Parts: sequence; structure tokens; C-alpha cells
Amino acid sequence: MSVWQQLYETYNQHLDEVGKSESRWEGKTFTLLPISHTTQTAHITVNITPNGEFHTAEVIEKGGGNTLIPSTEDSSSRAGSVIAPYPLHDKLPYVAGDYEAFGGVYKKDNAYQVYINNLKKWSESSHGFDRLKSIYTYLQKGRLIEDLVNEKVLFTETDGTLKWTWKDKEEKPKIYSIVTGGMEGAFIRFHVHSSEQLYKEPWQDSEFYQSFIAYYAEQAGDSTLCFVTGEQKVGSTKHANKIRNAGDKAKLISANDSSGFTYRGRFDKASEAATISYEVSQKAHNALKWLIQRQGKLIDQRVFLVWGSQVTEMPSAVDSTFSLAALFNDVEEKEVFDTNRDGARAFSDALIGYKRKLPQQTVNILIIDAATTGRLAILYYRSFDQEQYFKRLESWHTEHPWEYVYFDREKKRRVFIGAPSLHDIATAAYGPRANEKLIKATVERLVPCVVDGRIVPDDVRRCLIQRASNPVGLEAWEWEKTLQIACGMINKKEGMTVALDSNLKDRDYLFGRLLALADYLERKALGKENRSTNAIRYMNAFSQNPARTWLTIQSALQPYQAKLGGKVTYINKLIDEVGSQLDPSDFTNKPLSGKYLLGFYSQRHDLYQKREETNLSNEESVEA
Amino acid sequence: MRNTIEFKVYGDYALFTDPLTKLGGEKMSYQIPTYQAMKGIVESIYWKPTIVMVVDAIRIMKPIKMESKGMRPIEYSGGNSLAHYTYLRDVCYHVRAHFEFNPHRPDLAFDRNEGKHYAILKRSLEAGGRRDIFLGARECQAYVEPIEFDQGEGFYDGVDLHFGTMVHGFNYPDETGVNELAVRLWHPVMKNGVITFTRPEDCSLVQPIKKMQAKTFTADDIEPVDLLHEQL
Repeated sequence: MSVWQQLYETYNQHLDEVGKSESRWEGKTFTLLPISHTTQTAHITVNITPNGEFHTAEVIEKGGGNTLIPSTEDSSSRAGSVIAPYPLHDKLPYVAGDYEAFGGVYKKDNAYQVYINNLKKWSESSHGFDRLKSIYTYLQKGRLIEDLVNEKVLFTETDGTLKWTWKDKEEKPKIYSIVTGGMEGAFIRFHVHSSEQLYKEPWQDSEFYQSFIAYYAEQAGDSTLCFVTGEQKVGSTKHANKIRNAGDKAKLISANDSSGFTYRGRFDKASEAATISYEVSQKAHNALKWLIQRQGKLIDQRVFLVWGSQVTEMPSAVDSTFSLAALFNDVEEKEVFDTNRDGARAFSDALIGYKRKLPQQTVNILIIDAATTGRLAILYYRSFDQEQYFKRLESWHTEHPWEYVYFDREKKRRVFIGAPSLHDIATAAYGPRANEKLIKATVERLVPCVVDGRIVPDDVRRCLIQRASNPVGLEAWEWEKTLQIACGMINKKEGMTVALDSNLKDRDYLFGRLLALADYLERKALGKENRSTNAIRYMNAFSQNPARTWLTIQSALQPYQAKLGGKVTYINKLIDEVGSQLDPSDFTNKPLSGKYLLGFYSQRHDLYQKREETNLSNEESVEA
Repeated sequence: MRNTIEFKVYGDYALFTDPLTKLGGEKMSYQIPTYQAMKGIVESIYWKPTIVMVVDAIRIMKPIKMESKGMRPIEYSGGNSLAHYTYLRDVCYHVRAHFEFNPHRPDLAFDRNEGKHYAILKRSLEAGGRRDIFLGARECQAYVEPIEFDQGEGFYDGVDLHFGTMVHGFNYPDETGVNELAVRLWHPVMKNGVITFTRPEDCSLVQPIKKMQAKTFTADDIEPVDLLHEQL
């Protein structure tokens, strides 16, 4: 099904969330907008009595002005000198009848006249109600600025005109520091205040929403065939912007064929090429904005979004096993993070457990981005059967996993078995200083690896091997992370486990094991001395010329072997054993494939694991 | 069915533009081809104004995958802009189609020789089509090969899918006899990997776009089928 239809249905599934405010990050709230509504930052709240008299006014603190306001198609996209008032709350030039009297200048038409006529129509229509009428009764008196000045919210110059900006040295009244620019930009919202009854504020009151939606629907224009639903409905030509954030001008549906070859040829007008109904456009856009703020992941303004039509929260395809595990909050943490081999199994159990809580629904994956400032493009869209999506997700995280060390928020070292996040793969492949554009493009290329089960692209894998083979160029922790991710991605192709396979006779694998043994031996001899071993320093050369470099590494090992003597007999034995497994004809300088990293990692892992697990007496008996 | 051909059409990319994304210029493909796009492919194999091509069904052989590319489309005013186009990647469809004579072309009645048209159509398909083939947009080159419709294994065999509302195609005056251009929508459903197309005249969701006249042909403008058949 098309993305528009899915978004439209998502909106209809969540009608009970409309107008409710939620927050994802502290201080930042968002809502699923009712149709024909938008949000604006208000600066002044004016309280009006039920009889339509001025009551009080207050300046809104910074950050508290986020206001849900009714809006028409024209007003939501007004720009420049166009006069298009919002239906209820608006800026001073629109709502103040005495704007001119206080020295305000209208660009062309009288904005207040248009505003008050519209408000009159709405409040006198069959959808008008008492509180709306109170606001209208007050505003048609045209004395708002006068009242605000008396209330000491606004101030006048000595000649009686309004003080548009505060130039004096002495301390500014609050309103002048909150409104950027002159007072003509002050946004006023209205509230009906009564001592007898506590009214909900209009921007949180569904009675206000419903009244305007119903009133506005009656203003309907011509009905056209909606390309999303196939129904005959009132069409819309102006579509929403501010999709990714409040400052985002890019639109998903726009029409601009005065300058580009987009639809012209067969058609003369945009409305001939495609039409979409007002209701569908509003609902789909509102649902999209809501979903992005709720659960979208942004990389350099590119949005990666995964959602379910009924229960919107979904394990995201771009996340690591570790962060996904946070979703399954009823699952015992330890199970998922355990380093033992059952880690992957525990994850898939948790995933299945989570899925069981969800209704049968469609899962959507959407990637959007803008090439230019004006237009947003859908870069990727797939809708899945939920069953299928979870299957793909499970196999990405559990088939041939690797272990990853992760530092959580409390800086505690954690190990998890699974798959890294796509963003981590991209930065590991290209380095932390890579261009953000490259990173987001790589993440986009990796998404099909998760959701379509494709193997990781060769070039990404090669980059990972390259960087993982060059420990000298990286910081220790960064190299470890790169190495783990590289191993994981190589393993997606090779299908092995972290556990050492001591019977594998693969050339690259054995060379990798040798390198790990040399590293371990030297590290042991270095003791507290914190410098790189020869094995690590020669790693890059080793991957290119293994036979020649191994001779260098081995000869450098001799003093350490002598120093440690009998304590490392078992390692010497191991080196001999691995060396003997190598077929003599394989002992050449042919560059190693990425598989050597697996051998290196598994061997090293095995050695350190032994040290931790086997008790001392056991180790001594080996050494003796 | 009479005068039926069956073939496969495949290519690396396809762009069956969703018209909603076309207005602004950031084109994105529908997940499946429109009737009109498939009809265009059949007409590229062989077509004359005498006949109307009817696409009966398509079978989707490969998984529906998407890939976006950065594009530099030309502007009227000169120069380029930058846009993201989103294509279908690696597509293959099995198509079943047939031709009928155009009832709105009585002026071309002399050209109605069914056997010969059919023979030429089959021979053209064998040769890969008389004109070049593309999947939805000119940059998406494709190839046609005769094949049996049910032959081989499709990715969606046994799978049913709904695709919501989509464009079906356009009503052009020369095929409807009405002097207007109209767009048809429909709700395609894939059953067992096969999408069976509604015939254009049976589509109920039709939106007139504008007035348009059919092009006229005379015997002098076109080469009669009998002559062409002799040449081949």
C-alpha cells in the first residue's frame, strides 16, 4: 500500500491521541495535530471574561508558548505581504483593531478587517459556541492594544504610539526580550477566564478543535478524485511543510513547474497531474510529523523511520541489538546481554516475546531527505507484513553474530552478542571524521541488508577490513570497536561464531590465529608497560605480506620468549601447533582476506577467556 | 485468448512514478507497474493505430526493492537542479497481453487483417520489439523475451498483497471515442504473485483532465498491414 495511505490509516487508528501532548526529550513536546490545525509560538495570553470583557493578560515565559492553533490552508502557508489570518489566535496586526491608531502600518489591506470578518463568520455559524463568541465579542471592540498597554504588557512612546522596539538602556520589560524583532511579530492567544467555572484553554480543548474542523469542512471547495483513497473529496493544493522540524520548509508534496520539467507535457496544471484530498493530506502529514518526532532517527537531516500502523513503536531496523533490547523492558536484562553463546538466542526469544504483545499489523519503513531546501523526497519505502519484518530482524541480529563491547550511560562496560547499529557500521567503515553525507548514504544502503536479508556491500566490508587492520592509526578503544564490527560484517558472509574453531585449516584463519598468539605472548612479557606489541604494529603489513611479516614478528618474539621462559610454554606450543596446521604451500605472501580478522579475534578471545575462567591451579599444571 | 502474446520484461531499474511525487519533481516509483506503463511496453513491441493493446495480467517475478539516486534534472530556465529519484531495483515481470481492433477507428477498417497483425506481433516480440523498451521512464532500459507466463518460479508465488489506490492509466480520445483526456485509478490486488488488470473501460474511478482531440489518420499516412507483412 502507498505510504500516504499507510500514514492516513495510522492517523485514523490514533484519533484518541489527537491533541495530547507528549515528549521524547526533556522540554520538547509534540502532539498528533488535529486536522486544520498547526502549532505556533505565542508570546502573550489574553484572558477574556465570558461576557467578552478584557480580564487580564500575561507574557508567556520562554519555552512555554507552544500553542496549538486552528489554521486554514491559506494561513498555514502565508508568506510575504499576503494577508491570510489564522482563524483564532494570531499576530498583533491581525487581532488588534486599534493597530493603526497606535501607529501600526498595514502593508496593503487591513489585516484586522479580514481577521475579524472570518472570526465573525465562524462564531455566528452553526458551529459557534459561547466561549468563541466571548472572544469575538471582545475583539470586535477593537481595543486590544489599549488594554494591553493599560495592563502594562505593552508600552507606548511619549507621542502615544506603540513602542515597537525597546531602545532604552534601562531594563527591558519581558515582552521585548521574548519577541524577536518588533512588536508587530508578537503572537497573541486568547483564553476565556471565568471565576465560576474552570475552562480548558482553547489550545488544549477539543471543543474548540471540533468546532473549527466542522466549520472549516463546510467551507469546502470543489471535490476531486483523491489519488490516495480513490474517493471523491474536497481537494487540496497547498500541502504541509515543517515535516522534519519546526524550521523545515521542505514539502513532500509540492508543485513547482514554472521552472523544472516535472509534470508538464501532457498536463498544463499541477491539479491535472495529481490531486489529493484535503483531509487525507492533512491527516497523512500530521501523522508523519508525529511519528518522526516520536520515533524517527535523524542522521544529517535524513529521517529513518519505522512504524506500525496500530502500535506505532517498532524495533527499528537501524538499531543495534543492544539498544533494541531496551524496547523489551519486561525481559530480564541479563538474558539479553549475556556473553555466552546463548546471547543471540535470548535476543530472538525477547523479540518473539515482544511481537506477541503486538496486534497483527503492517510495518512500514520510510527514509526521507531533501536534496534542496524546498522539496523532500522519499528515498526508500517498504511496507511489510509484521511477521516477515520480525523474521528479517531476527536473522540480522542472530545469524552469525559477533560480540560487541559497549559502554552504557553509567560508563559501565557491557558486552552484548548480536549486531551493531547501522550508524556504527558506517562510522567504523569510514572513520569518525567522515562526511555526514557519506555516513547517511551508507546507512541507507545498509537498510536493505537488514530488511531484505542482503549481504553487506563489498566496498563497505573492504573498508572495515582495511581500518581494522591498521591499529596503529587508531586509538585503542576505536580500533577494538572497528575490529569487532569488521569481524561481525565479515562473519555475516562467513557464518562462524566467536568461539575458536581450532580444527579449521583455512589459511587466512590460521594466520590470524598466529598473529593473536604473538600479540598475547608479547603483551604478557610487557607487563605493565603500555606500548603496542610488534604484532599490532605490523598488523597492516602482515595482512598484505603474511609470510614475510611473520618471520619479522617471530624473530622479534624471541627475547620475550626467553624472558618469560617456562611461563609461556603452552603459548609456544600453541604457536607450533597452529603453524603445523598451515599447509606449507599456503605459507606465502598472498594478501590475507578478512577472514584472518576472525581468526585473530577468536584466538585472542579464547586466550583471555581461559585466563578468566580456568582457575589458577589448572593453569599452573599446564605451565609445569 | 485470441491474439495473445506472453513474454517477460526485465531491467536493472524501473520508475513507475507515483504522480503525487511527480508534481514537485522528487520522483518515486510505485511498487508495481501501472497498466499504462505495461501497455506502453506492449505497444513498443508492435503497434498501429488500427489496433488496441490490452494487458491482461502481470506476474511479479522478483522481490520489490527500492533504491534512490541523486539526479540533476534540467530546468526550463537552463542549468540543473538537484533531486532524489527513487527507483525500483532489479525487476522482472511476466506479461500476458493481446490485441483487439480499435472500434473508434472506422477510418482504418481496411487495415484489419487479424492473422497478419498477429504474425507480425509475434515476430516483433521474437526480435525484442520494434522500438526500444523501457520500464516507466526513459532511463530505465529493459528487454523483452517471449516466454510462457506460468513458467519458472516467482518470488511472490503463493503471496497475496494489496497496493492501495494507484493510477491505472489514461483514457485517450482515440481509444474511447470521447474528446477528452481522463485518468483512471484502481485498487490493484496481487493474488498468488499475479496482478490481473481490470480492463480500462471497466475502471470506475475516472477523473476527466481536459479536452483533447484524437489524431486523424488516412490511408496515405500509414502503411497497410498487408504490405508490411509482405516486406517482412
